[in-house]
Amino acid sequence: MKPFDIVIVGGGGAGLYAAMEAMKTNPSLNIAVLSKVYPNRSHTSAAQGGANAALGNKAKDDTVEMHIFDTIKGSDYLADQDAVDVLCSEAPKIIRELENMGTPWSRMEDNTIAQRPFGGAGRPRCCYCSDKTGHTILQTLYEQCLKKGVIFFNEYFALNLSVKGSRSRGLIAMNMKTGNVEAFPARTVILATGGYAKMYWNRSSNAAGNTGDGQAIAYRAGIPMKDMEFVQFHPTGLRKSGLLVTEGARGEGGYLINRNGERFMARYAKEKMELGPRDLVSRSLETEILEGRGFDSPAGKYLHLDLTHLGADLIKSRLPQIREMCMQFEGVDPIDEPIPVRPTAHYSMGGIDTDNFTRTIMEGVYAAGECACVSVHGANRLGGNSLLDILVFGRIAGHTAAEEAGKFEPGNISEAELKEHVEEMRGGMHASGHHERYGELREELGQTLALNVGIFREASLLKRGIQDIAELKERFKKVRVTDTSDVFNTNLMQVLELKNMLDLAETVAAGASAREESRGSHTRIDFPVRDDAKWHKHTLATRVKGNVVLGEKPVTMGRYELQERTY
Amino acid sequence: MTAPTDQHREGKKDVTFRIFRFNPQVDSKPYFDDYTIQVERGITVLRSLNYIKEHIDASISFRAFCQAGICGSCGMRVNGLSQLACTTQVWDVLAKSREPGIIKVEPLRNLPLIKDLIVDMDPLVDKMKHYSNWIDSTMPESSMGKKEFLISEEEFLRYDKATDCILCASCVSECSILRANKEYVSPAVLLKSYRMNVDSRDAIHGERLAELVKDHGVWDCTHCYRCQESCVKSIPIMDAIHGIREDAIELRGMKDTSGSKHAEAFMSDIEKKGKLVEATLPIRTNGIVWTLQNLLPMAVKMIMKRRTPPPPPLVKSAKGIKIFREMFREMTEHVRQDHKSHKK
Ligand SMILES: Cc1cc2nc3c(=O)[nH]c(=O)nc-3n(C[C@H](O)[C@H](O)[C@H](O)COP(=O)(O)OP(=O)(O)OC[C@H]3O[C@@H](n4cnc5c(N)ncnc54)[C@H](O)[C@@H]3O)c2cc1C
Ligand code: SF4
Ligand code: SF4
Ligand code: FES
Repeated sequence: MKPFDIVIVGGGGAGLYAAMEAMKTNPSLNIAVLSKVYPNRSHTSAAQGGANAALGNKAKDDTVEMHIFDTIKGSDYLADQDAVDVLCSEAPKIIRELENMGTPWSRMEDNTIAQRPFGGAGRPRCCYCSDKTGHTILQTLYEQCLKKGVIFFNEYFALNLSVKGSRSRGLIAMNMKTGNVEAFPARTVILATGGYAKMYWNRSSNAAGNTGDGQAIAYRAGIPMKDMEFVQFHPTGLRKSGLLVTEGARGEGGYLINRNGERFMARYAKEKMELGPRDLVSRSLETEILEGRGFDSPAGKYLHLDLTHLGADLIKSRLPQIREMCMQFEGVDPIDEPIPVRPTAHYSMGGIDTDNFTRTIMEGVYAAGECACVSVHGANRLGGNSLLDILVFGRIAGHTAAEEAGKFEPGNISEAELKEHVEEMRGGMHASGHHERYGELREELGQTLALNVGIFREASLLKRGIQDIAELKERFKKVRVTDTSDVFNTNLMQVLELKNMLDLAETVAAGASAREESRGSHTRIDFPVRDDAKWHKHTLATRVKGNVVLGEKPVTMGRYELQERTY
Repeated sequence: MTAPTDQHREGKKDVTFRIFRFNPQVDSKPYFDDYTIQVERGITVLRSLNYIKEHIDASISFRAFCQAGICGSCGMRVNGLSQLACTTQVWDVLAKSREPGIIKVEPLRNLPLIKDLIVDMDPLVDKMKHYSNWIDSTMPESSMGKKEFLISEEEFLRYDKATDCILCASCVSECSILRANKEYVSPAVLLKSYRMNVDSRDAIHGERLAELVKDHGVWDCTHCYRCQESCVKSIPIMDAIHGIREDAIELRGMKDTSGSKHAEAFMSDIEKKGKLVEATLPIRTNGIVWTLQNLLPMAVKMIMKRRTPPPPPLVKSAKGIKIFREMFREMTEHVRQDHKSHKK
């Protein structure tokens, strides 16, 4: 393969924006985008709600400054304030840019982009396109990339960075259509592979491929992971699949009910009941389950989200999508029966440590989107800020890499090195001595994470979790790939994804166990309050000789002092 | 299946999944493998496939990603109908299954087969490129990001539904013309083209239309409605196709592109009879042999399902209509009626 100036791994919102911006910055560069799924399939398409920007279309008095404050407060003061400045000040520009390129935003009466209220925001500033915002943004970006003639390597699975000394020489990836492992020598690499919340498996709202591949690739190359312990849970995931039942169902008057028939939210939020903040409601459901008031099923315990009292007419007219989803995915019609739900892992705040220009500590390697941690979300992301994050920092990544590519030598990967990667990848996985089943290991990983590194954490649970993960990693060494074919070996791909999840799970558990405080999404039963004196800082997890070594990094402060986070 | 149950209300059924298999490295031709598993209510076809892959045969290959009906990865044919495996309930399929207890799973049609249930999507992407399925903004790149275009709700509604398309290719798989002619533009690409054409921000409406009226373009469609009936997002694809045709006639007239033979035939029908005689159209454009081979069986089916106007002798001449615009309007109305009678 001829050397590239920039190789972008990931065709979600972050990767596609990076590609577009890099071509704009320097049209003479040779740029490639690799993606393990066709770009339009990326998980960005699942975002329904919208993207925040202080356009002031709905609330005339909205300002960028208010958006900044909401974001910092929402982050439980763990976000870096200079990064949040960038995020929020770029927001209006990027939303308008998308609009100018054809994103079909819903409209206000005065024909401007429509905005609606969203959790944790002081003003209605969430820009949306019906309930398909992420989908339409992704379509627009993909269309524009096709227009610009971006070179795509679709259904290529990235395996590793090729590292020489302190810098990367390019990327190693497997072509799924042929099974060939190919070298992509490159001056610069941008990682934009999305989140890692799928490690909670069927207790996650994420796509099957949100397995943290980019993070694991960076981690193996010695790049630190930041704030990995922060994973956001959504209160109402469907029991069987983890898919989200949106807040709208509770907004219309749905009840949360336990096996004793109680509306248990009365115990936790007397006034707001089912409409309390997301993290509080998640913790309440989890408490009911832990204290034995959940329903039983072989797939685990769950609670009821009951809409039956709302009546068929209201459900059909106001919640048709939720009804359809329950029927399609759970086989339950909410008009007749309650919906089985439980909290589900939804978003990963942690990720590859970068500066505000998306640079990592490794020269020539950049990261953007959910796989990176700048950090703009700190301990808790606000709804609508993540799409914004991938767009703003995706663009910065494309721009920075395009400006800096010339500084670095052309990439170069030898045949011998390529062979090593192939060996490492397939190492004996088909051998008969390999008997561990992929599905079992993955299931057990999800279970131990949900149980021990889930919504409620505690020293003894975390110890269990860390032990379990270590054992699973040991067993993984004997994992069996039964499909021996080369063409589209999805069995092999799933096993490689599991390897990535195992590597990262270790950093999540390590961070959670070190952080002896409760902040944002991280709740320690044994340390129930935020401890600014000891823990107002980021954790960094670096791999040294195969083990997690924890370090720390100060939080960049700015105009806003630490305050208690109350709503 | 070890998947969850509410013992108090759910039964279980033994279901045989008859799965299409083909590995290009070893198989000279495709075959089917049967896998029988226990499935309870609430389980989707995709979850069943996952179960079979994890517990019985890891070599079965299929695509799936979001598992939520939004990414478009898992399009496949389930008991003959192209749909998303992740949104299709096994019990619903069983209820309509001709062979009791058996669910046949095959890859989408009209796209090159790669392996088992996986087909190559590149031809579709190539067509999206060929027909410029993007907005070429009237705003120069250098001024972007400063201010919004003002767009009315009315305009937004013109393309709102079309932007639901997740490019799952179910419609592509069901399209009757594509079976005969792989170069045909494809319903999803027509839909996307239409979505771009009605967007006031777009500057290349004319060029796109010029491409759409050429060979393999919009005039090749036979109005069989199969695409629309199989669309997993219930998008009225035919509205888009009619929209492009109306536009083509209005804006371009009957210019000399080779594809417009079809258009001419179309127009002469309108002039002579005042109504569109769809049944004769393919013959005039493609020749009698092609039509007999490729369309007749389908036409018979279509007539039986009342999808086609009656054959020529039954079409009465429209009296007194001289001005083209009026004939055109009537034709459009006819097509709409046809469309409406379908929806019932
Ligand atoms: C159900 C749901 C609803 C949401 N709603 C909202 C919302 O309303 N508002 C909001 O702001 N955010 C929302 N989010 C969060 C937001 O959608 C994501 O954080 C964001 O889309 C991530 O974008 P990304 O570009 O970083 O990654 P993704 O879109 O996940 O893209 C990752 C890309 O990397 C590629 N890739 C991954 N691994 C590899 C590999 N090994 N080799 C090659 N390619 C690889 C994939 O193919 C893909 O193209 C929601 C998330 C979920 C799960
Ligand atoms: S109506 Fe036209 S595009 Fe749709 S399936 Fe029939 S021939 Fe194909
Ligand atoms: S038009 Fe419908 S069936 Fe066709 S690709 Fe789009 S969503 Fe799928
Ligand atoms: S897996 Fe995404 S649509 Fe079915």
